[in-house]
Amino acid sequence: MRRLLERPVLAALVFALFAACGRGDSGGPAAIKVVIAEYSKDHTGPFWRGLAEQYTKQSKVKVDLQVVDWNSIDQQVSTMIQNNQPPDVLNLNSFSSYAKDGLLYAADEVLSPKTRDDFLEAFARGGTYRGTLYGVPILSSARAFFYNKALFARAGIEAPPKTWDEFVQDARKLQALGGGIIGYALPLGPEEAQAEWSIWMWNNGGDWKSGERWTINSDRNVQTLTFLADLANRHRVTQVNPGKTNRTDGAFQLFKDGKVGMVMGFSPLARQLDAEGKVQYGVATMPTNVGAPVTLGVEDYLMAFKKKGNREAVKGFLDLYYEPANITRWIAAEGFLPVTKSGLTQMSADGKLKPYLDALPNAKLVPTTDPAWDKVKLDVQQTLGLAVQPGGKPREVLDRLQKNATAAEGGR
Amino acid sequence: MIAAVIVVPAVQLARASLGQYSITGLYQGAVGARNYVRLVQQEALPAVVANTVVWVVTVVGVTLLLSLGLAQFLAKEFPGRALVRWALIVPWAASLIMTSKLFVWIYDYYFGILNHALLSLGVLDRPVDWLGDDRTVMGAMIAVGVFVSLPFTTYVLLAGLQSIPADVYEAARVDGASPWRVYRSVTVPLLRPALLVATALNIIYVFNSFPIVWTLNDRNPGFGHDTMITYMYKIAFKSALRDVGLAAALGVVNVLVTLAAVLVYLRAVRWREQDA
Repeated sequence: MRRLLERPVLAALVFALFAACGRGDSGGPAAIKVVIAEYSKDHTGPFWRGLAEQYTKQSKVKVDLQVVDWNSIDQQVSTMIQNNQPPDVLNLNSFSSYAKDGLLYAADEVLSPKTRDDFLEAFARGGTYRGTLYGVPILSSARAFFYNKALFARAGIEAPPKTWDEFVQDARKLQALGGGIIGYALPLGPEEAQAEWSIWMWNNGGDWKSGERWTINSDRNVQTLTFLADLANRHRVTQVNPGKTNRTDGAFQLFKDGKVGMVMGFSPLARQLDAEGKVQYGVATMPTNVGAPVTLGVEDYLMAFKKKGNREAVKGFLDLYYEPANITRWIAAEGFLPVTKSGLTQMSADGKLKPYLDALPNAKLVPTTDPAWDKVKLDVQQTLGLAVQPGGKPREVLDRLQKNATAAEGGR
Repeated sequence: MIAAVIVVPAVQLARASLGQYSITGLYQGAVGARNYVRLVQQEALPAVVANTVVWVVTVVGVTLLLSLGLAQFLAKEFPGRALVRWALIVPWAASLIMTSKLFVWIYDYYFGILNHALLSLGVLDRPVDWLGDDRTVMGAMIAVGVFVSLPFTTYVLLAGLQSIPADVYEAARVDGASPWRVYRSVTVPLLRPALLVATALNIIYVFNSFPIVWTLNDRNPGFGHDTMITYMYKIAFKSALRDVGLAAALGVVNVLVTLAAVLVYLRAVRWREQDA
């Protein structure tokens, strides 16, 4: 009986892994804790381990390096902060909530002016909270429109679609090939619904915010979401249940298998396709419903946590990473895009990257500079897909998101 | 040891449930019972509780029924019994996450072997999106839950069966009892301690099971197929709430629910025993 009773309490243990826990020594200047998200198994760990060794050799400061997979990084970082053991350097896809909580050094305190001035302007702006740079750009990516050349040829489509009307026609032609061929793979499942949605929204002239105000449920956006729901339920040119399909193991997997005519991809997908050699693909700009095509740029961040006596050590580490040889070697290995002017110059020599580098200046970023975004993003991930399911209600879903976004703005 | 491993985390959990945390995890002060009040007000909660009841009752119930049959089968002498006994351990020994990922592929609409098999057998005339269709997700998860619970349960019951002395059966046979009668009047009563242990432990395991529901349900937006365990995780990290304090409140509730369920079960069983 006693043993039986102990088990449920073990459930508490599991939870306690991320709930509050005991307190230990915090870093100290003898070592810094560096937490990096794992972009790929092959490159992330090896690069950062090498960089840490190089850093320790120069500075005699040890590096406690933790490479954490994307699925659990939010949880692990939250646990560290709850336990009052924040990292010294953290790599993540958001930063403004940390800046708002006053946990971060301003970039100027931990970067040499040379490094600071090398950032591409758009990405520096994307890391700014209330006029100060806190989220230091670590790497970027841009989405592009991928199409399967063999399927396009079979369907008699000569060029990738430029407008939404052409897009729908082409998707219908592809779907009509039969044999399980899918016109367009639309991933609006929880993994990254906000990314797919951003691209369609912007190419219809809508946006997340207008000035300081959220505009998630604007008429334009309702029109866009209705268009996506129609792709699934009226034209029937998507894979089954697009609201419940994730990107990596859903849409990309189908495209890599040659089942899909069109998908929104990015450079790492191109690398995988090249490596597998199974699908002949083309890369184009996004089809648009108004004006010039817009693509989604994604920027990830490095941030430095304020801890007693760690400023010089952190500064040394960041400056080492931003040495052109280091940052560019890693970004190229991972298949991502540069965030620095020097990196852009170096990488434009690579012809394969041209479509993405060309798209980069016109890429738009999601509003990561607003701390409310960190909640809006999760809300979108958990609800947007429901709007494109049969019987889904685009306007209601967007109204709700708008309401929650406005509330998140107000405070916590 | 017990203090360090159980009491300390439990106290920390309870304390976290009374606090307010920023989205980053930064502690912002005590708020009393406010997290519990907010928890009860969550729109998704009733569906999540209903899912949890269905999940626990079905998985435990079906597992016990199948395990009774399996244990009976494995208790008999037959060639290759050792091999079958070993094979049965495999799903238990494999990591839950790996097993769940395997099933994600088995269930896959486009690539999965389940659709492929059922279509070629003529059972289905079109593929089913097992993990995306609201009508089939829970059933698909329950099947995996039963699959991974069978080994442990079967072995507990098998041990129970083998502890029943042979002369009891001998006596029953001499008295001319039919096999069904022997099973009901001899096997089941003597198996009761093993059944008790198997049921109580399974309630706890299945209630607390995270990887299966998380992995098989990760493509579905919202909270329509979550149990109280996965909902707790989503509250903390994967929903617009992103609130460790609120999640801790649900964590406390979860521990209490498990305790209560097992106590109620044990009491009900003992009460029946005295009655008989």
